Amino acid sequence: MIIDCLNLFITFVKLGFLSFGGGYAMLSMIMSEAQRFSVTPAQFADLNALDMVVPGSISINAATYVGYLARGIPGAVSATIGVSLPSFILTVLIMRFFVHFKENFWVDATMSGIKPAAVGLIAAAAVQIGAEVLLAEGKRITDVFTDPFGTFSVICIIIFVLTAVLNIRFKINPILLTILAGVVGAFVLA
Amino acid sequence: MKFKKREDVTERSKSGSYFALFLTFLKASTFTFAGGLAVVPAIERDAVQRYKLLSRDEFMEYATLSQTMPGVIALNCATLVGRRAAGLAGMLAAGFGAILPAFVLMVLATVLVNLIPQHGPLLGAMRGIRAASAALVLSAAFSLGRFNLKDAFAVILMIAAFLLVAVGTLSAPLVVVLAGVAGCLYQQIKRKYEGRKSDDH
Repeated sequence: MIIDCLNLFITFVKLGFLSFGGGYAMLSMIMSEAQRFSVTPAQFADLNALDMVVPGSISINAATYVGYLARGIPGAVSATIGVSLPSFILTVLIMRFFVHFKENFWVDATMSGIKPAAVGLIAAAAVQIGAEVLLAEGKRITDVFTDPFGTFSVICIIIFVLTAVLNIRFKINPILLTILAGVVGAFVLA
Repeated sequence: MKFKKREDVTERSKSGSYFALFLTFLKASTFTFAGGLAVVPAIERDAVQRYKLLSRDEFMEYATLSQTMPGVIALNCATLVGRRAAGLAGMLAAGFGAILPAFVLMVLATVLVNLIPQHGPLLGAMRGIRAASAALVLSAAFSLGRFNLKDAFAVILMIAAFLLVAVGTLSAPLVVVLAGVAGCLYQQIKRKYEGRKSDDH
């Protein structure tokens, strides 16, 4: 138990230090590490939906969620303290040493690499989540080689494509789209 | 930017500012969804106008800095403002205020979601929500890409990061480190090259 919590803590300290530029970039990293704590892509999709309705930072919400699923309240506390620690440490360091942190050439150069990579990481997370949550009931992603048309649920794919198009192209509110998807799912996927 | 001690903060008003910091960030975290920059106006209203913990210019500088430095953006803002307004204890008060609502409400939400029976119409609803949720992650990649893909180098890095994680199953934190190194190398080479070009003229 203590070892597991320590593991959660260390993982989230690492993610906190590597997290640049907001919640979704952090989510994609947590997604890639979460498998170590046996959090499934479906649970991760739930997390993303919960993030929209639960107040607070996406990253803190995500750490709490993953920590809780892995080891209950002690896990949630460990992960949350872990993801928060870098902010405290860096604030003290920056205020002491790097007054002009934001005008530094190397900071800008590092960000010029990390920002576009974050876009790719988030897209990869979307694909990894989609590969599981769009499956038809009782199917696995490896079935795609033997049964390419029966592996995915047609209704889930329609919901996925419609949500993506309505949100990206027409800027429809994501919470509204999620509720609609839930209603459609309750009637059609049950 | 100087960090000399503020003369107007006396010992007695200090404990007041700890509480003000805690309350400011507690409120900001409780009433803003999806975190990040959405919290900035709410914090400004309380920290600058109501409690006068720091000046507006200082606050805007910290709000910008909190996005540049690594870590949770809303929490960075809290620790920077707290440290500036009332030292280390102020930083802890502000940070704790920013973390608390996200933590407590998320634990409650997780417990509730785990109570949902995984069969019948509710499972159907969950499956629909998960499909939409995956689409919204993709949508987040699109909206971030609109701002961050300015040149060929950026596009190549994006594609490389995607392939390394989705196909190559490299861990995402490792890819972030590699991307940071690649950014440094590229900008350094670009600077050298442009320096040489301007020398020629």
